[in-house]
Amino acid sequence: MAPPPPLSPPALRRLLILALTLLVTPVATAAAAEEEFTEELLLRPLPDRTALAHFHFSSSAPPSAAAGRHHHLFPKVIAQLVQQFHIRELELSFTQGRWNYEQWGGYDPMSTNYAKPPGVELWASFDLSLGEIDATWKNLTHTLSGLFCASINFLESSTAFSSPHWGFKLNKGNLRYGALPREAVCTENLTPWLKLLPCRDKAGIASLLYRPSIYKGYYHSQKLKLTSSQSFGIVLDQTLTVVLQPDSVMGKQLHSADGQLQPSWSMKDLFNRNLLGKCFVSKSSRVFFEIEKDIFDKVDKSGTEASWTNELFVLSPAPDRVLKEINNMNGQSSSLYEYDVSNYEDAHLDVGVTWKLPLIWSCTPAPYHANRFLMGSGNERGSISLSFISTNMHKQLFDSSNDCSIKAVVFQVVPWYVKVYYHTLEIFIDGNSKAISEVVDKINVTPSEDKLLPGTLEMLLRFPCSMQSATLSLDFDKGFLHIDEYPPDANQGFDIPSALVTFPEFNSSRNYLETDSLFVSPLLQTFKEDGAVKSYTEVLLVPLTTPDFSMPYNVITFTCTVLALYFGSLLNALRRRTGEEERELKKAAAKRRLIPLLISKIRGKAEPPPPGSSPASVLPSKLLLKVVFVAVVAVVFHYLSNS
Amino acid sequence: MAIRHYRSMAAAAVGFRLVLVLFGGDLHLASRPEVSTPLTSIRRLAEGYWLKQASMSPYSGSMYHGSPLVLSVLGSLTNQRSIGHRAHIYCSLIFVAVDFIAALFIRATGNRLQMARNRNLQSLELTESVSNSVNVSAGDIVSLIYLWNPWAIVTCVGSCTSPIENLMVVMMIYGACSRLAPLAAFGYVMATHLSLYPAILIVPIILLLGFGPDTPPTKVFRIKFSSASKSDISDNDKSINLRDVQQFSWKPVFYFILWLLFWSCYVLLSSSIILNKVGSLQEMTYGFILTVKDLSPNIGVLWYFFAEVFDFFRSFFLIVFNMNIIFMVLPLAIRLKHRPCFLAFVYTAIAAMLKSYPSVGDSALYLGLLGLFANELAEMKFTFLLFFGYIGVSLLSPVMHNLWIWRGSGNANFYFATGLAYTCLQTVLVVEC
Amino acid sequence: MASGRGGIPGPSRPCRLPLLFLPALLPLLVLLAFSSSSSSSGVAAAASPGAMHNNNWAVLVCTSRFWFNYRHMANTLSLYRTVKRLGIPDERIILMLADDMACNPRNNYPAQVFNNENHQLNLYGDNVEVDYRGYEVTVEIFLRVLTGRHESAVPRSKRLLSDEGSHILLYMTGHGGDEFLKFQDNEELQSHDLADAVKQMKEKHRFKELLIMVDTCQAATLFSQLHSPGVLAIGSSMKGENSYSHHLDSDIGVSVVDRFTFYTLAFFEKLNMYSNASLNSLFNSYNPSMLLSTAYYRMDLYERPLNEVPVTNFFGSVMKTIHTDSGYSGFLAAYNDGILLSTEDNLLNHAMLLNESSQRRSNIEETEEAQLRSHGLTEVLLEQLDGKNADTIAMYGLGTMGILLAISTWLSM
Repeated sequence: MAPPPPLSPPALRRLLILALTLLVTPVATAAAAEEEFTEELLLRPLPDRTALAHFHFSSSAPPSAAAGRHHHLFPKVIAQLVQQFHIRELELSFTQGRWNYEQWGGYDPMSTNYAKPPGVELWASFDLSLGEIDATWKNLTHTLSGLFCASINFLESSTAFSSPHWGFKLNKGNLRYGALPREAVCTENLTPWLKLLPCRDKAGIASLLYRPSIYKGYYHSQKLKLTSSQSFGIVLDQTLTVVLQPDSVMGKQLHSADGQLQPSWSMKDLFNRNLLGKCFVSKSSRVFFEIEKDIFDKVDKSGTEASWTNELFVLSPAPDRVLKEINNMNGQSSSLYEYDVSNYEDAHLDVGVTWKLPLIWSCTPAPYHANRFLMGSGNERGSISLSFISTNMHKQLFDSSNDCSIKAVVFQVVPWYVKVYYHTLEIFIDGNSKAISEVVDKINVTPSEDKLLPGTLEMLLRFPCSMQSATLSLDFDKGFLHIDEYPPDANQGFDIPSALVTFPEFNSSRNYLETDSLFVSPLLQTFKEDGAVKSYTEVLLVPLTTPDFSMPYNVITFTCTVLALYFGSLLNALRRRTGEEERELKKAAAKRRLIPLLISKIRGKAEPPPPGSSPASVLPSKLLLKVVFVAVVAVVFHYLSNS
Repeated sequence: MAIRHYRSMAAAAVGFRLVLVLFGGDLHLASRPEVSTPLTSIRRLAEGYWLKQASMSPYSGSMYHGSPLVLSVLGSLTNQRSIGHRAHIYCSLIFVAVDFIAALFIRATGNRLQMARNRNLQSLELTESVSNSVNVSAGDIVSLIYLWNPWAIVTCVGSCTSPIENLMVVMMIYGACSRLAPLAAFGYVMATHLSLYPAILIVPIILLLGFGPDTPPTKVFRIKFSSASKSDISDNDKSINLRDVQQFSWKPVFYFILWLLFWSCYVLLSSSIILNKVGSLQEMTYGFILTVKDLSPNIGVLWYFFAEVFDFFRSFFLIVFNMNIIFMVLPLAIRLKHRPCFLAFVYTAIAAMLKSYPSVGDSALYLGLLGLFANELAEMKFTFLLFFGYIGVSLLSPVMHNLWIWRGSGNANFYFATGLAYTCLQTVLVVEC
Repeated sequence: MASGRGGIPGPSRPCRLPLLFLPALLPLLVLLAFSSSSSSSGVAAAASPGAMHNNNWAVLVCTSRFWFNYRHMANTLSLYRTVKRLGIPDERIILMLADDMACNPRNNYPAQVFNNENHQLNLYGDNVEVDYRGYEVTVEIFLRVLTGRHESAVPRSKRLLSDEGSHILLYMTGHGGDEFLKFQDNEELQSHDLADAVKQMKEKHRFKELLIMVDTCQAATLFSQLHSPGVLAIGSSMKGENSYSHHLDSDIGVSVVDRFTFYTLAFFEKLNMYSNASLNSLFNSYNPSMLLSTAYYRMDLYERPLNEVPVTNFFGSVMKTIHTDSGYSGFLAAYNDGILLSTEDNLLNHAMLLNESSQRRSNIEETEEAQLRSHGLTEVLLEQLDGKNADTIAMYGLGTMGILLAISTWLSM
């Protein structure tokens, strides 16, 4: 797919290059050593009897000047992409299903970074002048669509992407954001993604990716994140986050009266595959098993030590190491049990957990659950409503003084055919209507332009801490499209992409105490990064009225007929009445029994013809002339067309 | 003889409107597609005002397409919400007032026309018929027709800006009838500025200013004159009178054009001040009108036509449909040049029928003007058909719209059919007039 | 693609190179003629209309949307699997699927598609590359793929980059009728459109031989307008006949394969890459009593006798590489040119295509300048008014307007 690097044509030059290559080889290998690839897998049991598996593959390439155009591990396609489109940052995610913020947590790095809206989400920031960005974006979407077998090229049209200023990510106008909520995500998207890995899915952790089992899950998000800079080169993070139902026989056992035992599972149960050693070119290959803080609270209560085997659960192979979260707030924290795959070259590594006691725990939620829904019926108008329900989480964090306030940033893109009336913004806090200026600190609206731009809404809200629920509502009219603009399944409705709610004051980063200071795991590195808590809302499905698709010809002909009828009859009326008016007037005069006029008219008849009659005598000759003219034209035309 | 209870009936009409405005909150007339179009909707105006307050161009959201002047007058009113009432109640009150003023202007126009006609008839020595026709005071009837026209009421209560447009048109006609050049020019400039289509009314206005309200065709005078000369009553007064009628006086026309220039400069300047460095006024208003960008349903036929027509024919049909209005301007002007008021009425009706976003407000205007010619049109054919046709359409249209949009049991063709029928009716009306 | 601007590198276009680089290559050609007779004959053959068959392409189209048309996707994927098994690589297969069946929520077997109720074979496998899917599968895109007239931004993997040495297999399945094939239950591909596209392809030297295989009701009617030489057409049914599905899978809940495709696959399952079964034997394998319709062959545009043409000519792959040093340098030049051209083209295009939206966008971003420019007239005035509230001024203005109106009217009375 990628064009091969140009070679110099003549043999002489080739020789020279050969010599050069020989000379340069040591240098090249040194440079190649800088290209790194690591593979990691994180497993975590979730409270609703499911399990989260998070694959993290990270490749990095040094700045292109150092290594030239040759890559050993780093995918060349990506390097070319970065070079050609001057990408500074890019993130592309394919997601199926919705992250369940209530059950799976909303306040950890996982939900912040890897919970994505359904369908495709793409954003990129460029290293270009503002005028070139839109054109580059268009080319980028096409290239990505070819690369990942998806219809990302639908994001090229200006109605599909937006350029947020601060609501999504702070930028200088060089960021573009687009989402396709209905894009299907399936094997054909995963395959090219895997082809970017040096071992593909033939070896290493990626070999666990057995398609039927990972697409069976509740949530599936495949993400590609690119960062490039002059100093660090290109870093490519490929992650796949799945929430699976372990199909172990153990899980089906029901326990005694005090609830169900969590299903005990292992990697084999999750993926139906065995892990066969590491990918040999990877620098490190590790599996982490994460146990939530809430579980440790319970372990601590029961008084046993927080190790891999305690009275609540047992991890099946003994972990190589335990990493503790550095948490300055209190003693409890989550732990990571680390397994190094390279230690299991001979035997299959099959990390698993066995629960001993029924256990109910919960993940830390975001400060507010954000939900979005549609209101109203009918196909003329409606309103979008965004609701926040407090989880009372902040009360644990802040001292619950009532003066404090919590910031929330809302970012929402609305397609142009949903015509939002921004002046109808209403805010209800705990059921009472509030003035907008009380709650909205900052608002930035890019209103939609018909068939040109989507509407973008960025809002910085400030809620009082004591608030239990808040609702924002915006009215909209449903637009009417041209018959060709409707998709084939127009009656299914149109999607409004997810809104993003960010809580900038809440940081979801997690620091783990690492024993190995030489090597920093890219996975844990992303956990460490400063990340404000984010949550995506639901995608909305707006049914739009459709015109009748079957009979455009009828409409065209009927309309034209009516207009022709108007034109013809009016012209006819005008022509017909030229002589009529006088007669009518006289008739009217006669009706009014105006005798003198009548008499004069009668008298007038006896008179020699008035000047009006002279044209009448000319008329036949005129008519004759016309007829002759038409005949001549016809003859000439006939003659010309024949010859 | 004036109608006896004119004042009480006019007051009742205004009162009825007020009652509807204050207590008819559940009617939701503002969102009816027959009442408010993308050009006149007050909700869109409020959105434009909001955008302007947020220091953006009021046109930037493809929402508001009206005039910046209306925006600055009504915008601040849309912002104020009174508790217990509908959102745009202040605007509605203004519209009631505007409607009432329009009715007064129509009445004055009617009286002028009647006076002029009587004078003409007198000059033609038709004194008997003068005394006959005085029986009915045209102005009162016309203004009552306008005030009690259900469509005018609906438009007024439905708070869309078309009453203002109507007022400007009426003001222009009145100004021209009474040869008040500034008033006529003001009405003309404002009406054109607000909805573009009244631009074609320049022809009847100039004729009105030049010839006076209603000139009977020259031929009548010629006949009259010849008969007079035959009967040897060669009266000097008559010939002078004839010359008076025949003469096209250039002075008011000249004033009119001067005032026209003045008012246009004034309006353009003030709108550019209001828009304050945000351009694209013409593109977003006139462009929007001429290119039929919004395909939401209305009472006309063009929205559906342009929703279904193939894209590569779109510009062709746009030209055809826009030209259709202009095509008829000249023939009608030649044909009806002796009755400029009637000409103005025909133009208004044609524009109301063929404009890109028609509403019942436009129909209310020309139906109101129709009353001015009640005497002449007494012999009109198909009045029964027209009357019940209008009633039928205005009853069916909401039903079909409801079936299509709200219940989903009908389809777009149903509603389109009522639009077609409505256009046909208007055609018949125009042709028969 | 051969006709496009990109300038496609590949050993498959020796015929055009001499034309483009004739002055430079003339001596080399002479040299070549002396050095290797085989390659020179190849070049000569390529220059003549009957170019050598040196590569294979397949365009596989499923035109039906919605779950109950599962079998159409299964048909297409079966063919995809077959041609891949017989040697056509993924980058030479354009696969168009109008809907997502494999990961459809209704699919009980996520990421799997079966064409038989025994579920032996997962057609979706691990390595499927879909080039056009979902809403992208339209008549317009289909015709663009055939004729090669794409936007410049469309990546190579989505183009049919065939040349005059290509054998192309075009397989389509969906719902059809007399002289049309429905796309997405929304629009139709008419037999005229198809014939026209094929004609354009022929004129642009985009294929040597083309096999069109259509599995739809009244498939034969779709070929009635074809007139280009080198085209062979197989349809599943005659005019007036329906094409039926083969069997229902009660686990999946819908029919999983059509009869015509089922028996085609049955024929191919016995073959491998090296078998020599002729097209004739494929045609003879269709039994009307099994198909419940009469398979239709249109052979009048095809010159070679069918019993001598192995099926692998279309369903398999030939990848002949002609090694010429000259070609390499030529290719390099062409490649460089192409790249330069295409990128510059892109930039140019985009400079021109800076459509309204981006203008609008930049307008929004750089309002200041634009507005100052657009309102030069009032600029001075506005600068003076700066700082005051424009609204109040406007209100004053409107008030003045009313007063002026009243006074002037009164004066002229």
